[in-house]
Amino acid sequence: MKLEKKSVSDEIPTASMADITFLLIIFFMVTNTFSATRGLDFAIPKEDKSTPLVEREESVLISIHAGGAIEVDGRSMRADQILEYLKPKLERNATKPVIIRPDPDASYGDMVKVYDVLREGKNKGVEVRNINIPTQREVDQFWY
Amino acid sequence: MKIPRPKTAGAVIPTASMADIVFLLIIFFVLTFNVEVDKTMVDLPRTNLRFEVPKKAATVSITDSGQMRVSDGESASTPVASVQDVLSFASEMLATDPEKDFVLKADRNVPYREVDQVIDALKQAKVTAVYLLSEQETVEGGGQ
Repeated sequence: MKLEKKSVSDEIPTASMADITFLLIIFFMVTNTFSATRGLDFAIPKEDKSTPLVEREESVLISIHAGGAIEVDGRSMRADQILEYLKPKLERNATKPVIIRPDPDASYGDMVKVYDVLREGKNKGVEVRNINIPTQREVDQFWY
Repeated sequence: MKIPRPKTAGAVIPTASMADIVFLLIIFFVLTFNVEVDKTMVDLPRTNLRFEVPKKAATVSITDSGQMRVSDGESASTPVASVQDVLSFASEMLATDPEKDFVLKADRNVPYREVDQVIDALKQAKVTAVYLLSEQETVEGGGQ
């Protein structure tokens, strides 16, 4: 009698491989987020109680009013005019402190906009090295 | 006369390379993968300058209605009731890692008062680096 030999396939079945990997892809795509991983760095100066903050007279004060109006040293200005105003002052004193004082009712977006303008100055030839954004508590503490 | 039948073309789509292609895609998604620990929906402020925020940074988010959430960067965010809780959270984070980075994810319409309090809490906790999460400023939405 002739024995029938069943030949065993020596290939790895890979037909389902693509399906499995597609499932993995879908998982990673759904759980992945491309948004919101970038922003502005905001260095916090070391708190030093012994030395008071900069003298108000020697610095440039940028006030942001509720509603977004900007006032630099008492003059109202648009955001894109700030660097122009600062340029001669910073040429005389490169480390001149620039203080941003947003009104408590001003929006956070307006403060970030002004901060962005100052940080961007570096790319426009007006490097603002000394940006201060004191908090209300610090103002109360040092500015009487 | 017997007419020879045309040879039947094999109706097979070659799928052997499919798995390779899909694996490449998977590798891309694995590399760009980062779990979003804070799913709070906020309208981020828009800036021209944006830097990559360090991974695993602790997050403090503030919605436009003033609700705050904190996350250590590893696990999902939890709501906190007051700025005091942000302060104790930050101190706790810095106790384990004094160099811990913090990311502030605040809505652009939040009154500055609330952001001021949070930044003040982070300062009091002696946080060294804070990042302000932002969206890219576009030309259309650009400066006023």
